[in-house]
Amino acid sequence: MSPRLRRGERPFPPDEDLPEPARPAGLLLDARLHLLDRQVVDVDEVPTAIVDDLELTESRDEPRTLLVSALLSGPVLGTRILGGRPPSSRLHRVRWSHVAAVGTVVRLGVHGDQLDVLWVERWLRDRVIGRIPGGRHDPE
Amino acid sequence: MILSDLLDAPVHDGAGRRLGFVVDVRLVLDGPLDGGVLVAPRAHGLLVSPRTSTSFLGYERTGERAPALLARWLQRRHRGTFLVLWEDVVAADPDGVRLASAYRRWSPALPEP
Repeated sequence: MSPRLRRGERPFPPDEDLPEPARPAGLLLDARLHLLDRQVVDVDEVPTAIVDDLELTESRDEPRTLLVSALLSGPVLGTRILGGRPPSSRLHRVRWSHVAAVGTVVRLGVHGDQLDVLWVERWLRDRVIGRIPGGRHDPE
Repeated sequence: MILSDLLDAPVHDGAGRRLGFVVDVRLVLDGPLDGGVLVAPRAHGLLVSPRTSTSFLGYERTGERAPALLARWLQRRHRGTFLVLWEDVVAADPDGVRLASAYRRWSPALPEP
């Protein structure tokens, strides 16, 4: 069962009306709600990856400020079911500076071919599909 | 650090009392531009709930009311969810999050853009 506080352990009454915090100037996003598991498409609208995780880095200019520095994509299905996390070498980074827009999908401002995240597809295309007769051109 | 290190981590106050679990991280797009076209998201706060499961649909922090039965059930499950601002976080690692003694709880509602 997922961790939870039992009723007797809850430190606050559940139906409290809490005040709204001062709204910051920028767009607000909830990481899990608006970014995780979203499709990433490149500048040509080609599906490139799924946002499996986010890399968080402390700002160099302002200590104690945590910034999202990259989208991470990799084999996370097993660890989501069984717990733990894949080794960082298995997660591919897409730098946040490549992100052009966040909506129903995350749009990149670069071509997917330039990103490490697609190396498996490129390898399969060049080494396997490309060696099948007719595998190097569109169907006629 | 990666986001998964924070999600579902237990949250304690300055006195060591357990308050709940991190169910999401609220980000605000007001960080540095860093050569891109979209500014980097900055951690604005943590959403803390008494339970970890089924919060990913966000019914307890949006005005979504449909489908009515599901919305009501999920809002009820996540009563007691609150937002703590990142300034009030003293330590955050996979073992847990510790808040400052004078932390404040805020409404988890996500303002309309």
